[in-house]
Amino acid sequence: MRWSAMGAGARLAARNLRHRPGQALLLLVTLTIATGVLGVAMSLYGSADAAWDRVWRATGGFDVGVGVYHGPDQPGDRALVAELRRRAVQLARAPGVAEVSGPSNSLSGSIRIRGGTEDLSAEVVDPNTADTPLVTSGRWLGDGGGIVLESGLAAAVGASPGDTVTIQGRPFPVRGVAMTAAGRYPLYRPAQIWVTPQTAAAMRDLGMREDGFALAIRLVDPNQAEAFIATHQEFEVSDPSSSVTSFLETAQQRRAASHSDLDGMTDTLFAAGILIAILTVATASVLVAGRMAARIRQVGTLKAVGVTPRQVALVLLVEHLAIAVVATTIGLGIGRLLAPAIAGTSVSLLGRPEPPPLTWSRIGAVAAVAFAVVLLGTVRPALRGIRQSTLRSLDAGPRPPRRPGRLAGLAARAGVPVPGVLGLRSAWRRPGRLLTNATGLALGVAVIVVALGLRESLDLLQLRPTEPGQATADAAVAALYDQIRGIIFATGGLLLLLAAINAWIVATLAARDAARNQAVMRAVGATPRQTVTSLVVSQLVACAIAVVAGIPLGLGLWSVIDGGDLPPVRVPATSLVLLAAAVPIAFAALVSVPARLLARRPIAPLLTYE
Amino acid sequence: MSYVIEARGLVRRYPADGSPIRAVDGVDLVVEAGEAVSVMGPSGCGKSTLLHLLGGLERPDEGELRLGGVRVDGLSETRWAVFRRRNVGFVFQAFHLVDELTAVENVELPALLVGMGRREARHRALELLERLGVAERAGHLPDHLSGGERQRVAVARALVNEPLIVLADEPTGNLDSRATGEILRLFGELHKAGQAVLVVTHDARVASTADRLFTMRDGAIVGQTRLGADTPVAGLFADLADLGSER
Repeated sequence: MRWSAMGAGARLAARNLRHRPGQALLLLVTLTIATGVLGVAMSLYGSADAAWDRVWRATGGFDVGVGVYHGPDQPGDRALVAELRRRAVQLARAPGVAEVSGPSNSLSGSIRIRGGTEDLSAEVVDPNTADTPLVTSGRWLGDGGGIVLESGLAAAVGASPGDTVTIQGRPFPVRGVAMTAAGRYPLYRPAQIWVTPQTAAAMRDLGMREDGFALAIRLVDPNQAEAFIATHQEFEVSDPSSSVTSFLETAQQRRAASHSDLDGMTDTLFAAGILIAILTVATASVLVAGRMAARIRQVGTLKAVGVTPRQVALVLLVEHLAIAVVATTIGLGIGRLLAPAIAGTSVSLLGRPEPPPLTWSRIGAVAAVAFAVVLLGTVRPALRGIRQSTLRSLDAGPRPPRRPGRLAGLAARAGVPVPGVLGLRSAWRRPGRLLTNATGLALGVAVIVVALGLRESLDLLQLRPTEPGQATADAAVAALYDQIRGIIFATGGLLLLLAAINAWIVATLAARDAARNQAVMRAVGATPRQTVTSLVVSQLVACAIAVVAGIPLGLGLWSVIDGGDLPPVRVPATSLVLLAAAVPIAFAALVSVPARLLARRPIAPLLTYE
Repeated sequence: MSYVIEARGLVRRYPADGSPIRAVDGVDLVVEAGEAVSVMGPSGCGKSTLLHLLGGLERPDEGELRLGGVRVDGLSETRWAVFRRRNVGFVFQAFHLVDELTAVENVELPALLVGMGRREARHRALELLERLGVAERAGHLPDHLSGGERQRVAVARALVNEPLIVLADEPTGNLDSRATGEILRLFGELHKAGQAVLVVTHDARVASTADRLFTMRDGAIVGQTRLGADTPVAGLFADLADLGSER
């Protein structure tokens, strides 16, 4: 295409956007909801990494971590543990190893917390070692015994340096609080403390038993960590008859495992963003289709004077791609703004969250979704509009129905009032729009059902009595799912908002389609209220389909999620009934607005409306 | 004397760049029970606006309007609608049938709106369609009917509640000559049956079926002729031509 033609297309597109700011704004809002959610997910993904890296560097973090754990009361495994200890010593001497810390043994016991007990792992360390966790308050272990608490555990117990905590029924003084790149309690379990050999001896006297050891290996070339693990796979034992577990891991693997709660949130947000983007396709499609219906005469005129269908399509595409660019920019901006606040709710953070740098690949991913939405939503209705014959375009008007609706016939025989029957008659006039509307609403309803299930389950979780050694396990699960519940509720809300925008657009277009019929009805004696009822009923069919399909869909999704760490629970029937009633009422209130606006217009001009 | 329509000083203005346009400018008009009246005039003279005012589709800016002795110009939109469904039947040039309803459903719609039972409304609608010769098309949607058939359905709809007055706006404007003949015959029959009818038209053949003819120009009624069997229709054409040339 020549530059002059492209320039003309761009000018026409800009003029169209200025002349129809409402439609452009609606599309921008819906698209920005999708790009905004994806932008938040994109900024959240890896926002805990910088803080973790700082702790890892400050603590002389390992390139390859070696761990062996076994049940403290399983003496039969001692021979295997001894063999693994021998292999660990060999690993420390392997080629490529620059430095080694450990092996440091750990003892298993329990700590008193919130009126219950929590499983505890005490790592026995040389008080004078240089490889220590990052002390955030108090001091590191020295002469005279005492313990250092992992920061997450200190927060859960509510203990500071100088306080005492009860381990195995005996008080121990807290010397300091420290962070470790291993992970943060309660997400990382069991609870972690550091003790001197002297304190460990006292703990052994109280019944604590060894439950494993760890080794930190630093390599000459840190980039060879994965290759090193691949070379020494024989260290990893997986014997189902034994309680012994041994593993090798890279720093990157540990980093990823340290903030699984954030990963859960990010995954949920990505899923939400994609779901919203799919719905936005529907919104864009309805908007463009409606716009084509309104502009079909203009398109016909353009074609009549020699503008090619391709040029008309180009103008439409330029208009909508411009909106996609703006939506991408705003969405990424929203992501940068909101991600730190959302990440700040994480229980696994080792410091302040920092969104990762905005790379071209991240920008490209969000932009690709926005562009895909625009292309999928625009191309089909635009082409359909453009392909119509020029003559038909000039004679535009709502397509008349092909056959009388059966549902309306049944309703009439069942004694449904006249406005209701008329509404049912016109409900199927635009089946594409009806199904788009119903799909959007159904997804919103389904996600709300899942959120309701999560709410019930989390309420139950808070009432469940704690098990020995798991005093805060449920609290940790609750904290994690509470964040996800928040995201799911927000997603459900956004989906319903999108569905509401969809419903508004469809109802406005339906009002435009129905304008002449409504005026005819008023001319033969229907009151404005009757015409409003008729239009609202015609739109409520989509809502009814959405509720009938959305609730079982939501229950199905909930049954999939319900199998995890959460107590099994049924979504209460009363909640479902309320939802089934509230959605149509809200929907009717929404779509009645364009219907009322139409009913207020004088009849005579509407009778000439086409 | 009982009037079905009694209009005094009706004015309807539309906003314009300069001073407002007076589309209907102080019209006085009465229609007696059983009378057929035609309003003729060139395009844009305000005759359709007058018809809309008489049927409550538009509101007068000034003047008084009584239908069947009831003052209606101040009625609310809802009260007008309720009054209209019982007392006014409309026939439009563009037929204006509800395109989602079949022919019989269109006809029974005003009857259902006044609260007639479904069976009775259906019976009455089929009876009217039979009388107008389109009973076999009762189950068809408007899109599947010819222009003449659609207009006959529209006439049946206008008559279903036995209104005080039938207001017809260019009822033959979209019809071929054969269908026009059928509609003219129909209006003649209505007139004979004692139905009050007011037709606005620029077709002298249609106008000539009336008892009285009003001529309009620039929103005002400028002439009134009582028509009889010996009134020359050609003369009406001449009057219209004069009006057109003066504009």
